[in-house]
Formats: sequence, C-alpha cells, structure tokens
Amino acid sequence: MLRSKRDASKRRFDDVNLDSDSFSDSNDSYSDDETYEKVPQTRLKIKMKEQDPGDATSGLDTKVHSTYSEIPDDYVPDSVSNIFGKHDFSYLKLKPDHAARPLWINPEDGRIILESFSPLAEQAQDFLVTIAEPISRPSHIHEYRITTYSLYAAVSVGLETSDIISVLNRLSKVPVPKSIINFIHSCTKSYGKVKLVLKHNRYFVESSQADVLQMLLKDPVIGALRLEASEQSTTGSGLVTESAPKMGDLKIPGTEKPKEEEGKDGERDGEKKADEDAEDIFSHVVGIENDDDDDLDAVHSFEIAPDSVETVKKRCQEIDYPVLEEYDFRNDHGNPDLDIDLKSSTQIRPYQEKSLSKMFGNGRARSGIIVLPCGAGKTLVGITAACTIRKSVIVLCTSSVSVMQWRQQFLQWCTIQPENVAVFTSESKEKFSGDAGLVVSTYSMVANTRNRSHDSQKMMDFLQSREWGFIILDEVHVVPAAMFRKVVTNIAAHAKLGLTATLVREDDKIDDLNFLIGPKLYEANWMDLAQKGHIANVQCAEVWCPMTSEFYQEYLKENARKRMLLYIMNPSKFQAAQFLINYHEKRGDKIIVFSDNVHALKAYALKLGKFFIFGGTPQQERMKILKNFQYNDQVNTIFLSKVGDTSIDLPEATCLIQISSHYGSRRQEAQRLGRILRAKRRNDEGFNAFFYSLVSKDTQEMYYSTKRQAFLVDQGYAFKVITHLHGMENLPDLAYASARERRELLQEVLLQNEDAATLEEGDNADSFVGRGSSNKRGSAKRTTGSLASLAGGEDMAYIETNKNRNKDLRKPSKQSAFVKKLYSGKR
Amino acid sequence: MTSQFKNSINDYLEGLPEAVLTRLYQSPATCLAVFRLLPALARTLIMGMIFNPDPIAVADVDALVKPSSQRLKLETQKKLRLLHIFTETQAHIIINPTFKKNLRAALVGGDQNISFGVPCDTEDKHKVDVAFLDAHAVSQWEMILHFMVGTSIGRTPSDGVLNLLKHSGLMEPERGGLRITNAGFQFLLQDVNAQIWTLLLQYLNMSEYLQMDPVDVLNFIFMLGSLELGQDYSLSALSETQKHMLEDLRDYGIVYQRKASSRRFYPTRLATTLTSETAALRTASQSMEAATQDTISSSVAADSGFIILETNFRLYAYTESPLQIAVLNLFVNLKTRFANMVTGQINRDSVRFALSNGITAEQIITYLSVHAHPRMKGMEHVLPPTVVDQIKLWQLEMDRIRATDGYLFSEFKNFDEYKDVSTYAKELGVLLYENPGKRKFVSTLAGSQQIVEFVKRRNQKHRSSAN
Repeated sequence: MLRSKRDASKRRFDDVNLDSDSFSDSNDSYSDDETYEKVPQTRLKIKMKEQDPGDATSGLDTKVHSTYSEIPDDYVPDSVSNIFGKHDFSYLKLKPDHAARPLWINPEDGRIILESFSPLAEQAQDFLVTIAEPISRPSHIHEYRITTYSLYAAVSVGLETSDIISVLNRLSKVPVPKSIINFIHSCTKSYGKVKLVLKHNRYFVESSQADVLQMLLKDPVIGALRLEASEQSTTGSGLVTESAPKMGDLKIPGTEKPKEEEGKDGERDGEKKADEDAEDIFSHVVGIENDDDDDLDAVHSFEIAPDSVETVKKRCQEIDYPVLEEYDFRNDHGNPDLDIDLKSSTQIRPYQEKSLSKMFGNGRARSGIIVLPCGAGKTLVGITAACTIRKSVIVLCTSSVSVMQWRQQFLQWCTIQPENVAVFTSESKEKFSGDAGLVVSTYSMVANTRNRSHDSQKMMDFLQSREWGFIILDEVHVVPAAMFRKVVTNIAAHAKLGLTATLVREDDKIDDLNFLIGPKLYEANWMDLAQKGHIANVQCAEVWCPMTSEFYQEYLKENARKRMLLYIMNPSKFQAAQFLINYHEKRGDKIIVFSDNVHALKAYALKLGKFFIFGGTPQQERMKILKNFQYNDQVNTIFLSKVGDTSIDLPEATCLIQISSHYGSRRQEAQRLGRILRAKRRNDEGFNAFFYSLVSKDTQEMYYSTKRQAFLVDQGYAFKVITHLHGMENLPDLAYASARERRELLQEVLLQNEDAATLEEGDNADSFVGRGSSNKRGSAKRTTGSLASLAGGEDMAYIETNKNRNKDLRKPSKQSAFVKKLYSGKR
Repeated sequence: MTSQFKNSINDYLEGLPEAVLTRLYQSPATCLAVFRLLPALARTLIMGMIFNPDPIAVADVDALVKPSSQRLKLETQKKLRLLHIFTETQAHIIINPTFKKNLRAALVGGDQNISFGVPCDTEDKHKVDVAFLDAHAVSQWEMILHFMVGTSIGRTPSDGVLNLLKHSGLMEPERGGLRITNAGFQFLLQDVNAQIWTLLLQYLNMSEYLQMDPVDVLNFIFMLGSLELGQDYSLSALSETQKHMLEDLRDYGIVYQRKASSRRFYPTRLATTLTSETAALRTASQSMEAATQDTISSSVAADSGFIILETNFRLYAYTESPLQIAVLNLFVNLKTRFANMVTGQINRDSVRFALSNGITAEQIITYLSVHAHPRMKGMEHVLPPTVVDQIKLWQLEMDRIRATDGYLFSEFKNFDEYKDVSTYAKELGVLLYENPGKRKFVSTLAGSQQIVEFVKRRNQKHRSSAN
C-alpha cells in the first residue's frame, strides 16, 4: 500500500514534467518510467478532502487529486503543523534526488527559495532573475517570488510558458505545485503575446500566434484601425507571415573577444572548457537554449497607422493583452544612422553584457528596465545600448549635474563627435548639427509645459519634431507616472531603456513603470558584484545616539514635525557625527554627510566648518565644491542634502554618514549607499567603504531606520549596531560637551518654526514635478514664526560663530584659504 | 553545555560525605565513570598514581605542571580532594585506596565483578537491534520533550515522568494540567546529553526524598554509562532499588525492556553515552535515515547542524523533526514549512516572546551556533554578528526598566498636607516619585510605615490644635 501510494505521488509530478529528453543527469527514474500519462490541465478536478485513499490510483479522472490546496489524502498533519497554519507544505513530497536540486516553491505565494551553494545555483539564479522578482539575496539562501510582472518580463524576453514550467520543475526539490502552474499559465497566456514592431518605418502588430491576432482584429477598436496589407505573403486570414526574428549576426559592441587569443593560451582554454561544461550541464538540465535555435517559429502581423499606435496600445492593455514594444532598428532605413561606436579600449563587464543580451535577445531592441546597483556602470550599459542601435539618442536624467556627467561619459567611452552631442538644460540649449545626434536633458526640462522660455520652447519643438531611435531614462524610479506619460508622449522614441539601482518605492507606482517603459529585463545581485570587485565592499553601521534628557523631554511634548527637528539636532548625534568625521578624516577617507533636513544640514556644516550643498546652492558653486572635494586634499568632508542622493558621481568618497533622511524610504538608503559603491580605491587589498546611519535612540527615527534598511539587508548587507563610540568623550573641541551649550542648542531648536523641520523638497518622487531648474520663481506661502525670526534676530548669533565655508570658494586664490585658516585658528 | 552538566554531576559528587563516596568507589564501574567525568589534568594525575605502589611526592606533581598552569593544578587538586580521591600530607599525595583498587580493576579487568552489568547468557527470543533501540529511545525521549513544549498528540508520558518534571521545576501544575516553566524553556534548548543529566540529577534528589540509597542509584547510573549498546543484560545482578529504578528509566527511554516482567533489559544510546563525549542521540531524521538505509554504524555521526541564519534575520532550518520545529518556534517566527525545511524570521517580537519565557539571549545564540549548518560553520563568524548583536540588544531593551515596590500616597486634603508629608518622605530618603500637580507621591515600601505614622501624628496635632 505504501509503495503504491508513492507511485501515485510520483506520477502526480511527472505529469508536469513536460519533456524529459534533455533531462540527463538524474533522470533515470523518470525516463524509464513509462507508466505516467499526461493529464490535460482542463481535467483538473477541484475536490474537497477526499476520504477514500483507494481511489487514488483507480482512474484518470481521479488520478490528479487536486483539492485546490493540493493536500494529498494520505497527508496527516503532525503536532507542529498548526504553527504554520496554511503554510505547512510538508505534504509536497520531495523528489528522490532532491538533494541535487536547488529550490523549493511555495504554492501559496509563489515564493521560491534557492540554495545558493548548490552547484546548479548560478544557472538557477540566471533563470530565476528572469522569471521572478528577487526578494532577498544574502549569502546562503536566496528568495525570489513569481509575480504577474516578473512573468510578464520573462515572456517579453522570449521565454515560453512550457519552458518556464519545465525548467522550474527540473530545478525544484518538490514537484511544481498545481497552483503555481495555473498561475504561470494564466499570466503568460495573454502577456507578451502581442508585440508592436516598427519595421521599415511602419508599425506592425505582431504575434507568433495567429489566433491572438484574429482575436484582436475582431475587437471593434483595433480591427477598425488596421491597414490593409499590400504584400503578397498575406495568408487567407489576412495576416502577414514571416519567420521569427533572431539574434543572428547582431553584435553588442564591447563584447567581442579577440578570437585568436582563445587558441593560443592553453590554460585559458581549459578554463573556458570548464565553463562550457557547466553551461552544458545547465542546458541539459534547463534546456531552454535550444528553443532559440528553432527555425520553424513564424510570426504573424498586421499593420496599423502610426497615429493610431496610442489607441491600440491602450486598447490592448484594457483587454489584458499588453503590447511589448520592439524596435527593428536594423531595418529602419528612415531614420539616419548615428556615427557612434564604443572605443576599442572600452570593455564591458560580464553582467553588463548579460543585461544587454536580454535587451537585444532577438536582434531587435526591446524596451524595458535594467536594474544595476549604483556604481556598477549603468551609464556604460546605456551607452553600449546606444552604440548598438546607432540611431539618434535622447538621454533624460534627474539633475543638471548628471546631465554633464552623461555627456562627459559618452565622450569618454565612445567615438561620438562632440558636435553631435547636445545638452538641453536651463543653462544651455544646444542642438546638434548633423542628421542624427545625442541630446542629454532632464525630465523636468522635457516634461514641464508651463512657463517655458523662448529658447527652451524652440528646443522642445526640435525634440518633438523628430523621431528618436532610442531614449535612455536614467534613475527611472524617481519619476512619477504622470511625468513619464508626458515624456513618452512628447518624444517619439522607438526603444526605451530605463536604468535604476533600486526598483522599490514606498508607494505602488513601480507597477506603472512596467507598462510605461517595459518589463524589468535584468536585475543584478549586489553581493555578487561586490565579491567580484565591481563595486566596493561596504561596512554598514547604525549608530545609536542617546537623546539627551533635555531634548527627550521636549521630544515627548512636541508635535510630530518638531519632534523630527529635535531628534535630528540631538547633541549626542552631533557629537557622534563630529567624532566620525574626525576619525575618518584622519584615516584619509573622503566623507559625504547626508542630511535631508536643510536646517540641520546648515547647522552641522556651519558648526563644523565644512562645505555644504543643498537645493538652494547655485549650480556654479555646487560644481566648485564638488571639484574641490575631488581634488583638494584640504576638503575631505562635504555635507549634501537630498540633491546629492542620485547621480552625483564622486568616486573619491569612501565614507558616508547619514544624519537625517526621508522617513522610511528604502530607496533613498540604497541610493545613498550607492554614492560610495564606486569608490576608486575599491580594489585595494582589504579596502572597505563605510556607511554610518546616525539615529537618535528611542525616537521615531529608530523605526524608520529599520524600515529603510530593509532593502539593503535583503541584498545581503548587514548593519552593525553601534551603541557607543569609543573615545568620543575624549575628542578635543567636542561640540556641545557642556550642559549649558546643550541648553542653548535646545533653545535654538525650539525657536525654529515648523518649516525648519520639513525635509527639503529634493529629487524625490513625490515632489519631483515642477522643481525644474527653469522654474525658480516659487510661490508665496504663509508661515507662522516667532517675532524674532521675522526680525531676523534668530540667525544673528549663528552667523557670527559659524562661518559659511562655501563662501571661501568664491575667492579661489590660494591665499584666501591660508588667511581663513589663520582666522579660524584665532577663533 | 555538556561540560556544564558534567560539572553539575561533579558538584553533586563533591557534596557527598566521605563515607558515601567510599561506598561508591567500591564499584569499579563507578570509579571508571567518575574518572571519565574528571578534567584532563586530573585524569593524568590519577593515571600516574594508580599503578604506583607508593604515594607520590608533592614536588613531583609540581614538576609535572608548567608554572603558568599552577592555578589549574590547584583547582584540580582541590576537586580531587573534595571527591576524596586524594588525601594530601605535607610532602605526599595519597590516593584513596578503594578508588585505586577498583579503578585498576575496571581498567585491567579480569576481576570477577558485576558492576559492569551481567550480560544474559541465554538467547533472547525477541532480540532487538540497535536501530530499534535508537528509535525507541528517540520516541520515548521526544515524547517527554513534546509534552513539555505542548505539541504532543495522543501519548502522554507516564506518571513517573510527570512527577519528575514537576519535582524538578521544569513544569508546574496549572488548571489540572502542567505548564512549562522558565527553567523548562531553558531545558529545551540544551542538547540531549545535558537534558538527561539534568533529569537524572533531579532523579537523584528525588531518590533521597524517597529514601532510596544514593549509592545504589549512582552505581546504577554509572553502570549504565559503561554498558554496551545492543547487548541484553540480566536483571539478576541488580538490587531491589535498582530494579525499581529500571522502571523509571524505561519511561525516559534510557533502557528498553520488552515488558515489565522481562528478565532482561537493553541499554539504549541514551544510557551508553552518558559519560562519553559522543553525541547522545541522533535526531529523529538521522535515525530514520539510518534505519531506512540499513547503514547502522556503531558511532553516531556527529550531529550535523541544520540551521542557516542570514544577515537579514531570516532563518532556514533543514529539519523535519516536529520537536526541533517546536523548539525553534520558541524564539523564531516560523513562516513556511516544506518537507525537509522550515523557514522563519527572527524578529523583535519573537525574541521578546522567548525572553519573557525566561530564555536568555545567550541561550538562543548558543542554540543557534551549536546547530548551525556546516555552511555557516565554515564562515569567519558562525552566526552573522549583526544578528547576534541585535538579539543581545533586544535583551538589554528588556532590562531598561527597573521595578521597585512602592506605596502610593494620594488624596491629600490640601496642598499643605501634601507638602508636609512629601517633604518628610524626602527627608527620610524614601521618596521614589512625586507629582505635586496631582498631589501624589510614591515612597518605598520600607519607608511607607513611617510616613503613615507621620500622617497620623500630623492629623492628631491638627485636630488638637483645631480644638
């Protein structure tokens, strides 16, 4: 009886083992077993608990015992089952060779748990990152989750439903649960089936399944928009049929390896062989690669008019057949080619290549998002993609600082001529000279429709008047959907690439990106890159600063906004910051201190005599400070507000201290960490970058801090809690060491009106719109404040003792620094 | 943890009077067991002396030990003195002759003695193998533990076991049933060997109360430690006390008897590893595997760890044993369970729950590191240091509030009265907290009586002055 039951259970998962031919290493028990039958999905019976176990093997109808929750009849919950409630899946029987397979699948929520130490793990990760969202990837066990969007992304890079299920089944220790199979079926049924392709400057709706197109044509909206085909190859149904596109001879620049070298170096050859062997095992087990070579695939299409593209897209989304956009740039002869190529010295890294191969997998450019950690070379990925497409390119980023950085990177990595690169910001409005070129701008410049100056209106007209081959959307996570719609409608681009480090938001707007730009094509593993030396190793620490009793007393009395100011201005925190800055400057580190709160930013920077940049700092001064930070060894610490969160590229920075932050924003935490990931010195022996987050103990901040770290912790970073900084008390000139000073500070803080407590409206998603640099007017607002503040009395005492060092830079002579030193020495 | 409990049996022995110890040492098996429980230096010293007909000179012992280890030597000597194995004179150390004779007998054998048990000379018709004994031990022992965690289904341990649990303070009676105590929770986190010793020590305490001869009891326990697994032993050599004990030990799974009237018994692995270093018990899964794969090896594979703890506080445990899951559930927020693995998360709430049950942060950390998966053991730190720190911090968090018993004074007639009384309390130095606005203050419990007297005196004075 026991034996037969085991058979029954085996049969149950063999049903879903769709093809076992390439299943070589551990398949003996499967391929020899001819007794299993395929059970069509439609015959699944939904039954409630069935009592008679004898039924289990009697007939086809009852063969698949699928009470919906899939609990088999012979499963007896044991004494601890109740702990797990609905999440006890011990009834999922392990396959006999489960030890060799790396993952478990949770039938309830689609979570996949992967042993990262399994020999198959690397291949499994490649596969999982395609079909599922990575949730956590620390050192030993990774978690992924299959979601609607992740499947959408998987389908869009060309995976078939059957591939997904059979590969999952081969990698899984337990048979793939029915619920998951159903979920995959239901999600992939409609997703990714319809593509919108621009070929020879005509738009085609394309699908590999003719019946899907037939269905679309019967739709009243779409059917009416179809153009009659003129080609002879039309089939009876009125569709055009041709063979499916292939990667073919398309080469992503920078990826070619010199062919001659391979033969010469025997050692390297061996290595390569080992690699190939591993690859071989994978393709045997996974077996998806073969499908790409299948020449028999055919695609069907019908044409639509360019001006009906929007309508068709919208309609398709409504009927749950979202279109994927692909750009057949090799066959686009209408748009002039751009003379751009990577310089021969430019080599791209394996993970960059991998991400690009997802984008250009079938020889066309897919629109989508690539997620790489900060500092892992997102820019180069964008540039390489542009060099592959070789059409006019527009790059949008978040600030004018990063506009300059993009421009400079383009010139550095590829052969584009400077006259073909144009910059469109509030300061400069250039056009390129040739037929095709590159424009770098900011979102706000393009999306802003009101109050445009004459020059920028002319520039916009220029941008809108032409067709762009490719648009790169940098830091795509910060931009709200409304702005994207505007950008996407304003600029006609064939392929869209979103770049970001952190595809998380505290609101649910991430989902919008999936449809506005495209699915996530690739997401890199942070820890993996850190281990391989592509990004720096970082020691993260959370420093607990006890609230001084006076501050805590006030903290308990005040309202929420004032509380924030109190915990940021906590003297212990100030001391901790001072100590850490002192300590790391002595070590020779370059330090960035982040504060969202501008009042605190200024107060800290002025008190400590450091440079600072916030939203109100003029562009000129910003650049000067950043330059000094990079090259002047007298300037080792700068204070940045939220404006420094993204896109400021400072490879010199090796230490980061965060004194105030945007509530529980996981993204901000990751972005800030990103500022030190590209540290120049990262490949030095034993090099560590440092990331400190200062939090005031027993305040709201502790709660936010834990929330903020969630993303990084899931990437495998560990935050060490420091409760006491050794030697802090002995620091000479420790600020606020006496009770009197602390009381004065408290009075100071209490006198501030609530506005001082608000966080700067920076490059944050919620406040992005309208903060273009062209729109500096600002509107009048009503505030309440103390009489002293109206009279300007508050700041008087401050300015006298705390000199703004930013002003030093205005006089760039050497002498001034010297004089200033003397001056501060006397004080 | 194991050594800790060896210490406690040593402590117990050290506390016994010389007469009892000398009686104990009459059994070679006991001598051997005591010897095995001693620290390494003590064992070396004894080995140097038992075959030496003359007492050893103190100077020779000093010469044996490096000057840097003098403290260790002194401690060892003290221990041996307390166990009445050594007697020291001015120049010589004399070893207890009974101990010497019987340990020698145990080591060289040959002597006719029954202290190592008497194997049955007839064939058992219902012979059982090691795998069966292991399974039996596991099921008996885990039944007790399951009962403690409250996850047992069906079977309840015998009254003897329940009595012992109650007596040892591991569980306490509550509404007709038994409830696990803080000590019980701590008990659960120990390894099996430590658990058995804890119970046996409690058994010893209880046996004195029941007027059983501790020498008999101890001799039997130590004898069990030197029996051979898989061999059946005859009951004929046992004293009445020991036969009585056998019934209790049967319930713990330490010995196996087919039925109560049987004339033979088998020691299980729980018994034979009592005084040795090897792991006492395979986990349920290990013994299951051993049983199904027919690979019965005499030495138990070292209990390989099964827990993976990640820096993101997620915990993955390769286990199918309900007991291990139940134990993990004491301090982990368990989420999902697969056939051979459970996942969960350690968070503030789950750790605070454990702390409030009397489990300490240190115990959680030790449990996790002892059972860490081989993957984790290869790392620089077995457990992620951040997680360890955090667990400790959670414990510190619990200690932030100190409770002091006090006495609340309120409802004063007027502010003057309040002020007088509170000033008096302040002068006495017993004022803990005051709120003049609400006219309330709290004094220490000790000072309250004096304040009450003061209030009475004051009232009287007022009344008389008003009159």
